Amino acid sequence: MPNGARLPFAVALSHWIVAMAGTLVPRAQRGDWKREWLAEIWHRWQFLRHTGAWDRREKLCLLRGTLGAFQDAACLLAAHETLWQRVRERMRSPFVCLGAVAALLLLTAIVSGGLPATRELLSGRSDLMFIWRHPDSGGRDQPLPADTVAAWATHSRSLQGIAAFQVGRPTRDQPLLMTVQPRFFEVAGVKPELGSFTRDQAIVLDHRTWRSLAHGNPSVVGSHLKVGAISYPVAAVLPRNFWILSRQPTIYLIERNLTGMVFAAAHVKPGVTQKQLDRELTKIAQDVCYYFFDSQLRYSSWNEALLTPLRLFGVALLLAGLMAMLVFRFRFRGFRMAAARRSLFFITKAALALACVFAACLELSRSESAILLASRDPGDGPFLVWLYVLGTMGVLFWAIADQRARCRVCLRLLAFPVRVGCPGCLLLDWSGTELFCSEGHGVLHVPHMAPSWDEESERWISLDESWQGLFAHGK
Amino acid sequence: MSDSAKLSHTAALILQTIDNGSSYGFDIMDETGLPSGTVYPALRRMESEGLIASQWEPEKKALAEQRPVRKYYRVTREGAHVLEQSQKRYPLLARLTSKSRR
Repeated sequence: MPNGARLPFAVALSHWIVAMAGTLVPRAQRGDWKREWLAEIWHRWQFLRHTGAWDRREKLCLLRGTLGAFQDAACLLAAHETLWQRVRERMRSPFVCLGAVAALLLLTAIVSGGLPATRELLSGRSDLMFIWRHPDSGGRDQPLPADTVAAWATHSRSLQGIAAFQVGRPTRDQPLLMTVQPRFFEVAGVKPELGSFTRDQAIVLDHRTWRSLAHGNPSVVGSHLKVGAISYPVAAVLPRNFWILSRQPTIYLIERNLTGMVFAAAHVKPGVTQKQLDRELTKIAQDVCYYFFDSQLRYSSWNEALLTPLRLFGVALLLAGLMAMLVFRFRFRGFRMAAARRSLFFITKAALALACVFAACLELSRSESAILLASRDPGDGPFLVWLYVLGTMGVLFWAIADQRARCRVCLRLLAFPVRVGCPGCLLLDWSGTELFCSEGHGVLHVPHMAPSWDEESERWISLDESWQGLFAHGK
Repeated sequence: MSDSAKLSHTAALILQTIDNGSSYGFDIMDETGLPSGTVYPALRRMESEGLIASQWEPEKKALAEQRPVRKYYRVTREGAHVLEQSQKRYPLLARLTSKSRR
């Protein structure tokens, strides 16, 4: 300021606002722009001071008026052609493409709270196994007689522990109800976060149900909750990261004497093969007079079940790959070193995008997707399959289309589309759109209609050094 | 010229205010009652279209009065022509600005 006097707070703050907004203004105009704004602020302040109107209201008015500097700066920025040209040029870079896909993956991780479902795939839960019966003629999985499970618990030497359970019909608006024997949780290897599993005829809430039904209130243990028409005492609450069979909110009803048909969760001793286990369990079942005439025992290891999403993804990727090969008519032209860089870019881009699809779909369907219940609830498993099929197809088609629109040398997106030729004169000449590499490496001709005598659907013409003068701005 | 003639009411109001003698950004805000976020971008646009011209006042004069140099705006010949057309399009324009001046 000319007189060098100490500025009042409102004026100093206005100066600071102008300085902040000034960062948006293109450098060539910044000096004059700031000078104009600061001069206007100074004159306004002096005018009000001399007329004795420099009060609180006017100070606020000055600040409000100064805030318009941001809009003014934004307008100058938007009108600055060179800056936008530079931004557009940067956006064509292959690194921007890779960065954008990586950012999407990061965003998925942030939104999902650190990819919990994906990380679960890496953490096995020892040798927990589920046992049921599967008809020889196909069809749905069948439960086992409760007496058989009791006999296995008493006589089996291959099992460390076994517990029977029954699964209620899954519904969308109510928690899943599972009736389990008290030792079910011991077999599953989980300890309660609150309460204990010792009580009979009591319920255990998983963490999500505890949050939704009891609003996370710890004193819910010992109180009564109604399940159907009957009221049960709440014995325990399970830890946050525990789920079994389904990620749906679940209520476990502890029932010491389960009767009727049940499924079994078992802990197998180390070193016991599935064949040995099957032989022993079948023999014990026959000893208690139960013969699996038209069905056989089916075992599902927890660790294997966790890999189900990977298998589904693999199948979806295979399908999408085949589809892409058919649509884009791929022909293998042998390995060329020149294409290695392009291939590396394509593989990195597609791999990042596919990882994003894999994680995002798994996280999105995690509350619904029931790995082991998929055969009981047809709405769950196929949902993930559909997401994977659509996702992988979308990624592959995008990756190929993006690759085709890039320069064969520098991998930048091609620009400056120019229409050439006459669509009605196909017999005399070809017509289409030509795209240029902004670095002057070549021209891509994309025909509007592929003529029958030419199977090549696109043409890339490399430009030699004599063209470099035209593209000197890029150097 | 036909494009310039289609000036918005706000832009025409600002142009009229400058023509009336308000030469500085904050003065125009006072006269029109428009916020700075509207006035300054409109000034930039009109300047780039050649309707107004800006100039820094002589530095000597400002230094003698111990104050920063101000930038002032004036209507160009083209701007005056467009303003004339805008006045026909918005008949209350002249009255609005003269009222606010009072």
